[in-house]
Amino acid sequence: MKFLLARQAAVLAAVALLPAAGEAIYFRNNISWRSAIAPSEMVTLEQARAWGDAAIWVDARPDDEFARDHVPGALSLNEDRWNELLPQFLAVWSPGKKMVVYCSSLSCNASREVARRLRKEAQLSDVFVLEGGWEAWLKKNK
Amino acid sequence: MNQAPNAHPPTLNVESSADATTSNVKHRTSNILWRILDFVIGGIFIYAGALKGLDPVQFASDIDNYKILPWPISVVLAFYLPWLEIFCALGLVFRFLYRGALSILTTLIVVFTLATIAAKVRGLDITCGCFGHASQHWSFASHLATNLTILAALFALGFSNRLRKPS
Repeated sequence: MKFLLARQAAVLAAVALLPAAGEAIYFRNNISWRSAIAPSEMVTLEQARAWGDAAIWVDARPDDEFARDHVPGALSLNEDRWNELLPQFLAVWSPGKKMVVYCSSLSCNASREVARRLRKEAQLSDVFVLEGGWEAWLKKNK
Repeated sequence: MNQAPNAHPPTLNVESSADATTSNVKHRTSNILWRILDFVIGGIFIYAGALKGLDPVQFASDIDNYKILPWPISVVLAFYLPWLEIFCALGLVFRFLYRGALSILTTLIVVFTLATIAAKVRGLDITCGCFGHASQHWSFASHLATNLTILAALFALGFSNRLRKPS
């Protein structure tokens, strides 16, 4: 009985491998195996600063954290109030500007999500995620 | 000592035949209900698997949000789990490799539920990813309730499968 169950489970697990492998090949250029964010979508603090006025800083943290402190000139754009904040952001955005999205630290996901939605939903290019996030900014500006 | 079958009084034969018919109807009705549950649970997993399979990049990100596995493993699972769910769900619907499919789906839902609870305990505010972007705004409570309902249904199917006779 147990052998039959294990054999059936093994067959299903093996069969699922085939389309999974096919899909991995199909999406090979859409996903990085090394990092959750493709290296081309990341930017270091030094690089982002070098862009000067050509960069728009986007704070993806919740409202209370943004209110407490943020990168000077940064715009708040978080997922909690996405529909409300996106039009305000787009009013400030102009073609050719580079967007630097950050959240609290290296391990947070908000910046990645906001960057993804800016690319997908707002159809914007030149959207980058700040490596190290707000923590990295604070460290360099103490 | 040996009694011929027709040695019973005729009324008893009629009663036992009526009992058998009632029992047969009950048995068939019960089998139909279990099959409906097979279809419902199978349908849920096919839907969930298809949503995730269509956007593996997003699903990899959702798995990574749990902060349990390294990124490359999240990517492998993002490609593999949706197909495993779909094949197991088809196993339920078509009663093909049924026990294996049930055991895999039960294991998956238990692991998802434990990972969700662990994430909540660690204070992570995450997208569960269970139904792709459709579940993006689910609260922890509704996520947990859905998982536990599916788990209960899977246990019920497993238990009924032991009792079920082919109709």
